[in-house]
Amino acid sequence: MKKTYRIFRFDSAKPKQKHYDTFKVETAKGETVLDVLIEIKAHHDGSLVFRRSCRHGICGSCAMQINGLNMLACETQVEMLKDNTITVDPLPGFKPIRDLAVDMDPFYEKLHSILPFLINPDSPPTDKERLQSEEDHRKIELATSCILCGGCTSSCPSFWADKDYLGPAALLKAYRYVFDTRDVGLNERLPMLDNKHGLWRCHTIMNCNDACPKHIFPTEDISHLKRKVVEEKY
Amino acid sequence: MERGIGSSGAFAWFFQRISGIFLLLALLAHFWVLHYSNDGEVTFQIVAQRLSHPLWKTIDLAFLFLAIFHGFNGFIMVIHDYVRWKNVRLVLVSLVWVAGILLGLLGMITIITFQVPGGGL
Ligand code: SF4
Ligand code: FES
Repeated sequence: MKKTYRIFRFDSAKPKQKHYDTFKVETAKGETVLDVLIEIKAHHDGSLVFRRSCRHGICGSCAMQINGLNMLACETQVEMLKDNTITVDPLPGFKPIRDLAVDMDPFYEKLHSILPFLINPDSPPTDKERLQSEEDHRKIELATSCILCGGCTSSCPSFWADKDYLGPAALLKAYRYVFDTRDVGLNERLPMLDNKHGLWRCHTIMNCNDACPKHIFPTEDISHLKRKVVEEKY
Repeated sequence: MERGIGSSGAFAWFFQRISGIFLLLALLAHFWVLHYSNDGEVTFQIVAQRLSHPLWKTIDLAFLFLAIFHGFNGFIMVIHDYVRWKNVRLVLVSLVWVAGILLGLLGMITIITFQVPGGGL
């Protein structure tokens, strides 16, 4: 199957020269867009820059925009894409650095700002883990499977408009801890969640739900968080 | 970045929903009262009679304040969404407040002082 790939090219040292390069690549059944990029880098243009690590949809580094939608390149099989020309762009909303690689630092800063760890001053039982019932875990199970690819935040119009907005990935992580029955850190996280660039910039647009490669619904969990914060305050 | 300080937005978010629900019910009631009660007859006299009644004045005042809150809070949300320059934001939000308060006062005076021309309750 031979298809045409239009790949976004950019160099932050020469920002005015951004453009698309076109490559024709032959793929076998089951090959992914990431395989195509690796092929291009190996045999067509060694200067192409993109991120990848695991190639199995678990590290989250290969998120990019493929035919206008945020996806993981390593999980997107070429045959799933109907068009004969496939356009590959970096994740929108983040600052491009080089070709398909964007600056993810602000994304991680926001993630860290919501204190993404268990807060509980009681020391755990010495000989055991802090166990949780199956039922309690189910509330956060989906949220724990986030691979931090950034696809959701990058697809969110509220984030495009306000670069300081925490964004769905950080809010989802906050949900994951606030709704963890072993965590007692809501009040410590409250100043980060409950402010102009926090929870209230989410207008349930739901692009993040469509973007998530792990089939998580960040919008739903953000709504639970909003209600929790209102209950906590009033 | 002014994260973690300043007004939170929790109340605005919550009350936007409460006022929204009230407005939805109030609009349906308004529609019904105006077009279906009195066999759908709408004359100045009938409406004026109703607006002279204290109970209706109270309902209309609630309608007025919640509608103004809902609409102008919506404006403020849009400003916070899209206006990134702090000073411009301050000016726009202040303008929205002033406009909201003026409209609220005007509506309040109209409702409270309204009487049926040439007749009591
Ligand atoms: S919620 Fe989904 S889209 Fe967002 S960062 Fe996590 S895995 Fe990626
Ligand atoms: S390379 Fe790890 S998720 Fe795609």
